[in-house]
Amino acid sequence: MLKIDNLHVKVDGKEILKGLTLAVPTGEVHAVMGPNGSGKSTLANVLAGRPGYEITAGSVTFEGRDLLALAPEERAREGVFLGFQYPVEIPGVNNVYLLKAAMNAARKHRGLEEVDAFEFLTLVKEKMRLMRMDESMLSRGVNEGFSGGEKKRNEILQMLVLEPRLAILDETDSGLDIDALKIVAHGVNTLRSPERSLVLVTHYQRLLDYIVPDHVHVLVKGRIVRSGDKSLALELERRGYDWVTGEAA
Amino acid sequence: MTEPRNALSKRVLDEYEAARASLPPGIVTPERRQEAIQALAARGLPTTRDENWRYTNLRSLEKARFAPIAQPVPPPAETELPGRLTGFARYTFVDGVFARELSSPQEQGGLMVRLMRGTHGSAGNQAPAGSQGSAKQQGSAAHAGSATVFNLPRALPALSSLPEARLALLNEAFATDGAVIHVSGTSAEPARVELLFIAVAGADVGASYPRVQVSLDAGSRLILVERHIGAGTGASFVNSSVSVDVGHGAHLTHYRLQQAGARATWFDTLSAVLAVDARYDLLAVNTGALSARSTTHVQMAGAGAELVLSMAALGDRQQVQDNFALVEHIAPRARTEQTFRGIASGRARVAFNGKIVVREAAAGTDSRQSLRGLLAGPEAEIDARPQLEIYTDDVRCSHGATAGKLDDNMLFYLLSRGLSPEVAQRLLKWAFLEDVVSKIDLPELRRQIEHALAGQMADAASLKELL
Repeated sequence: MLKIDNLHVKVDGKEILKGLTLAVPTGEVHAVMGPNGSGKSTLANVLAGRPGYEITAGSVTFEGRDLLALAPEERAREGVFLGFQYPVEIPGVNNVYLLKAAMNAARKHRGLEEVDAFEFLTLVKEKMRLMRMDESMLSRGVNEGFSGGEKKRNEILQMLVLEPRLAILDETDSGLDIDALKIVAHGVNTLRSPERSLVLVTHYQRLLDYIVPDHVHVLVKGRIVRSGDKSLALELERRGYDWVTGEAA
Repeated sequence: MTEPRNALSKRVLDEYEAARASLPPGIVTPERRQEAIQALAARGLPTTRDENWRYTNLRSLEKARFAPIAQPVPPPAETELPGRLTGFARYTFVDGVFARELSSPQEQGGLMVRLMRGTHGSAGNQAPAGSQGSAKQQGSAAHAGSATVFNLPRALPALSSLPEARLALLNEAFATDGAVIHVSGTSAEPARVELLFIAVAGADVGASYPRVQVSLDAGSRLILVERHIGAGTGASFVNSSVSVDVGHGAHLTHYRLQQAGARATWFDTLSAVLAVDARYDLLAVNTGALSARSTTHVQMAGAGAELVLSMAALGDRQQVQDNFALVEHIAPRARTEQTFRGIASGRARVAFNGKIVVREAAAGTDSRQSLRGLLAGPEAEIDARPQLEIYTDDVRCSHGATAGKLDDNMLFYLLSRGLSPEVAQRLLKWAFLEDVVSKIDLPELRRQIEHALAGQMADAASLKELL
């Protein structure tokens, strides 16, 4: 589904990703772990198309298409979803407006009719129950006045409603207490399917207790230095990032 | 006879002399008209050298014809007008003159509405000044159609002597009709009145002078909707004058919508006086006209008076939306809350100049100002300018003014959810106006305003689905 080959990316003239290669086949969940400053968030943002990242070499294909050639909104409509590390507050833009506009944008792209208002609300409310979110949040501004945990749950809610083919979750576990983490993990797990791929970008192994990955990759200084199965995350937890950073140096 | 200040003032005088005989005497007395035109000639019309007029497009004055439209033009069909608001009496004026066929007066407790001229061209039918007191049957005056110099229940404040209020003098000199609204009593339900001003004729035919006088007796309440729209494609010249007097403990909620035609030149002067414990909620949404200037002067004359002034202004293409608001705190313990949100797209210029003066006796004044401008075009201009003049110590005054572009993080967030850049930008502009739009307490009116705003932001279809 996703193939990243020898990706080099600069931010403000400084090279952050230095030849990153990664393949995520359809139906798999991959975790990308790494210490602070290793380039995890850069990877997530580049995949979603945030401006300000200069791609100097390499390629990214999504289902055989050049992902980097697509505008951010086209990536979203094709089924790429980024769960933000720091979801922005947008006062005045209603949560339900955004969900509906996002859903209809994707449907239009696929040549489908706009979603029926009743079916839409039924769907959203069902997903909100799953995320243990109060319905009153729908009429509030996007993330407006939400706690850190509420913002992350709102990200997952959007993901559940939009049903992307590829979801990249950037440190979705950061700032969550254990109860919220379980809710978020449960939400993510309901979306796992043979047609869908997930990339979990995280610093800690904790999330992976609840969303068990098929593969774990360790990102250090802009490169994947080690890949393995879920046991790699446990080993990292035990031995610390020094274990791999030492090797990468 | 005062010497005119310049060629433009001379022309105003000449046009006045030519039109004088045909101006209906019942709306403004000939003496007051004469005083107004003299004062205007002495002061001259504003120029961009005047500090508080530098953002206005004054070139439009050069081209204007000041004499009022002599021949009534066919009014638009009822179906072209904004939807009626439930429970509101509607009074419609076409090119400044009352149009009965487009109006729907309504009896409401404590409400008295008088039309100064009644119908097109019926300037005769004089009644002696002062013959109609406040005991006049409610509502019935709306049908009277008499041309009377009203003996108002309360003396209206003299026209503001501010240099910024000069264009009200022009209205005083040339006005051809007007609405006088008076509310008394302390009914549980506020009175509800809508004034609809439609400009049809082009400036080459003449000017239109909407004129409104509102007074609220002690403890009374009124919700007033004042709309200015354009019909047809004429480049109208509109110069309106509104005076407001909110009595002791009275509460006026005043919605003003400026949706003049795309080629119109629109000037407006509002002067208000607030008595002890009076409350005035003034909410203006300005989207129309090619060139618009709105001048607001509120005097906090009574202790404990409260003013909530909220304004949204949108400019696109070559539009100029210039707004000046002066709030004068004269009496102690009065409170002002001022919110301005302006968006300039294309090559538009949107300005808000908000001046607050706290006089010596106005101890305990509490004033807050939040002015924000959004630049949505590389050639657009925003001027958000707070001014404070304080002559006493015991005050709480806060103000903030910002002008900036759309937030990149917000924009990317919306794009990452599949929204097109156009829709995302429009949505964020929409959100920017929320602080003003959310204050519209009438759901029906709010919907109409939201649609008007969506329409102004072009490609309305993509936003309408969200409404």
